Amino acid sequence: MSLLEFARGPAFQAAVAILVFGVFWRLLGVLTLRWGQRQTEPRASAAAGGVRTVFSRFWPRRGLSRNVRTGRFLGYLSHIGLALVVFGGVYHIETIHGVLGVAWPALPGSLISVAAVIALGAFLGLLGRRLMHPTVRFLSTWEDYFSWAVAVLPLVTGLLAGAGLGLDYATLLAIHILSAELLLIWLPFGKLFHGISFVPSRAFTGANYGRRGVKI
Amino acid sequence: MSEFPTFEQAMQQMQGMLEKLPEMAPPMQMPPQQRADRATAVMVQNLDARFGTYLESCIHCGHCAEACHFFQVTGDPKYTPVHKLDLLRRTYRRESGPFRWLYRLFSQPITAEELADWKELAFDSCTMCGRCTLICPMGIDIAAMVHVVRESISAAGLAPPEIRAVEAEQATQDTVFGASPEKLKEVIGMLEQQAGIEIPLDREQAEMLVLTSGLDIMMNPRGLLATAKVLNHLGADWTLRSDGYESINFGAQVCDKEIHKDIARRRIDTAKKIGAKTLLLCECGHTYPALRWAEGIYQEPLPFEVIYISDYLGKQVQAGRLKLRRDGRSVTFHDPCKTGRVGGIFDQPRAVLEAMGDEVCETPDHKMTNFCCGGGGGGFLLNNLPLRSKVYQMKMQQFDATGADTVVTACGSCRLNFATAKMMLESERPIESLVELAADHLPDDEGWRRPG
Ligand code: SF4
Ligand code: SF4
Repeated sequence: MSLLEFARGPAFQAAVAILVFGVFWRLLGVLTLRWGQRQTEPRASAAAGGVRTVFSRFWPRRGLSRNVRTGRFLGYLSHIGLALVVFGGVYHIETIHGVLGVAWPALPGSLISVAAVIALGAFLGLLGRRLMHPTVRFLSTWEDYFSWAVAVLPLVTGLLAGAGLGLDYATLLAIHILSAELLLIWLPFGKLFHGISFVPSRAFTGANYGRRGVKI
Repeated sequence: MSEFPTFEQAMQQMQGMLEKLPEMAPPMQMPPQQRADRATAVMVQNLDARFGTYLESCIHCGHCAEACHFFQVTGDPKYTPVHKLDLLRRTYRRESGPFRWLYRLFSQPITAEELADWKELAFDSCTMCGRCTLICPMGIDIAAMVHVVRESISAAGLAPPEIRAVEAEQATQDTVFGASPEKLKEVIGMLEQQAGIEIPLDREQAEMLVLTSGLDIMMNPRGLLATAKVLNHLGADWTLRSDGYESINFGAQVCDKEIHKDIARRRIDTAKKIGAKTLLLCECGHTYPALRWAEGIYQEPLPFEVIYISDYLGKQVQAGRLKLRRDGRSVTFHDPCKTGRVGGIFDQPRAVLEAMGDEVCETPDHKMTNFCCGGGGGGFLLNNLPLRSKVYQMKMQQFDATGADTVVTACGSCRLNFATAKMMLESERPIESLVELAADHLPDDEGWRRPG
């Protein structure tokens, strides 16, 4: 079995299995903890507040964006760029189709390359911020750097494979696929899980404040 | 109301008492391991699905620091809000999280020493104002979890002695600052005599139970007088009760759940006993969430409405029942965090100010994003003035930026902090109370109606 076959076959299956199992394990582990009691008469709808906050937090609140502009900007760029690459690349859509049975039109390859370069640049900017911004550096642990590397590796290897730089294409592609699989495997365990947990996290706060009549 | 000391005069008298508080704290001796175990148990008890989700979601972006006044005025990364939760996060990962078996291999349990270190972060440098909750891209309610950290530090006997002293007084006497039922009666007698106004006490039945506070009784009887004037003017069927008058709930401030519930339950029982349909809370911000949003005391919604004074006054104005004399000044309103950001009461106090013809000039950060007074969450009791004074300075600069002549607020504790700030910074701008202003602006031509 070649490295590429391994990456496309057993490694991929294992990565998807770990991803699914890990996400469920972590989500269930958290959400099956006790749920707080609420007996007080609400002033407004908790459900509406919850839904509202899931969406409202995509944009910083007016008056509170002053010192977080760079972080937010790099956050948008990296996330949007990554999303375009993951969900717009023709091979990625084929892979998703193979697993989930759904597909959609792909974006042009050149656009994907641009998105990948922008995302990579933004990720580098985020790393720079983590290393240089005193507060962010203070908060950072090995896991922040590791998760950064795991998120960036598929971008780098994908760009290299696309450009055919360095090794032969089959090896480059295998390395790219393996790096993406590492991301899938790590997602449920580290901070990349925020890609899923941001929904319940925002919803809890929105609902809790919402029932008090506060739009947060 | 000139026969009573001004708020600032009364505050100077109180300063001496505050300085003695640490000596009055009951000793809390116990071995370090017991402290750590007690704190851990409290954390685990509190770690529910909501907090678990929050602790799983932080991306260490550091944005929350930009919202926190303590970080803003110091620039010290240790004041980053989410850092204040580090011990809680470690405990969550080791004891409650889905990968606890793994984390236990690679991490250490929290220690008494760390808890002692975190006292400064959870008490001195967090007023649980909730501002950081607004900025977090993950929507993490950091303030709610600082509450848990405080509770665990308290359980370990390591809460600041100033706070423990007042907490112990409330646990045993049901009141604070020596505001006993006898003292309440004495103050009411004095107010009735000097101001010629009736303040109903201990009526068997009334539509409305009014809670006052140890601060008003011992320091600022004008607050109680003003409330009485407005309520009598409105013809409210109200009473104070000597078996349940204290709105301050130190259990909620220190985050001691048992004391919090005990005090809240007593107030609720009194309101039920007299058949009250409304429980009115005087100007003391934390009393609102402490009672209005106190969960787990009754298994059903309360049989009466809990309403905060600024909300009540605003609603009376909006309904056209309360008309005030207009003298059109320029004022700025400081929203107490616990009634504003955490309580949703923004428009009502402004309606009262507008009814007096005042022009409301907002601070650069206002309403939802308003900065805390600097000493909320019991912070004003602590001997940590050097840190707090930096926040005071920032607040005063924000007030300066409005160009308003007067600052108005609806919380005795915020006012206390601003009075300190005013003295320290030699500011001339008056700091007024909303209810006192409303009482001063009641129409002259109407006599005080008798209650009931
Ligand atoms: S609740 Fe307020 S004081 Fe506490 S960390 Fe957040 S912003 Fe700072
Ligand atoms: S803003 Fe939210 S996600 Fe960012 S460091 Fe603070 S708590 Fe964590």
